[in-house]
Amino acid sequence: MSVVHNRIAVFRAEMSMSRKDLADLVGVNPQTIGYLERGDYAPSVELALKLADVFKAPVEALFSLKPFAPLGRTLKEQRSS
Amino acid sequence: MFVPSKRYPLGKSFPRSTLRAMFAGVYALYPLGCILQLVSTPETFGIAGDVAGLLMIAAALALFAVLAGSSLQRQSQEPETMLDERELAERNRAAFGAHSIFSGLVLLGIIYLMIGRDLIANQKLMVWLPETGEHWNAIFWGLLIASLTLPGALLAWGKGEPEDEAE
Repeated sequence: MSVVHNRIAVFRAEMSMSRKDLADLVGVNPQTIGYLERGDYAPSVELALKLADVFKAPVEALFSLKPFAPLGRTLKEQRSS
Repeated sequence: MFVPSKRYPLGKSFPRSTLRAMFAGVYALYPLGCILQLVSTPETFGIAGDVAGLLMIAAALALFAVLAGSSLQRQSQEPETMLDERELAERNRAAFGAHSIFSGLVLLGIIYLMIGRDLIANQKLMVWLPETGEHWNAIFWGLLIASLTLPGALLAWGKGEPEDEAE
């Protein structure tokens, strides 16, 4: 089974949200947020869409089958282009 | 079996290592206590063996009582509507594993009884077989404890250490 990479922790930190806050918003156990962030559990489509909705971001900005590029490199590329 | 308390309605969280030790304690202490009680006669261990066996069984039941209020027992025993999708997926995997192990244990027990009866009937070998109500009682309660705790035990040996949820 392929690994689903995600940026939940980054988005959550940006919104200064605790795992419990996020868990309450999407209706799961707070521990499940920890499992998702660590990549120990791949969410269903429904949960992925709920998370994307909370962060007001497209689902592909939150989840990817390929590892996300480091934020520093992405910013450098944006500045140079 | 999940017994919630007023203080921990979702079950008390323990570190994985503690849960594993408690499950291992139940599975080791109960059968050992029963065997010690079985082999304790005035010629072998006497009253000390009897008491030690009883204490081991009591310790196993005490561990079982603590586990009954744990969050893992909640995950393994609560109705589907009370769990989220990750908990449900893990529980289903654990329940399938527990079913396989439990069926295997029962099958092995029946095979042992069949072979044991044959060996005794043909006077080839004397093996121990349950005879008295006390023997069957011990087996029944052992199987009951196993059936109630196996899914939780498999969850305890699963991957991932739950982190602080408020983090």
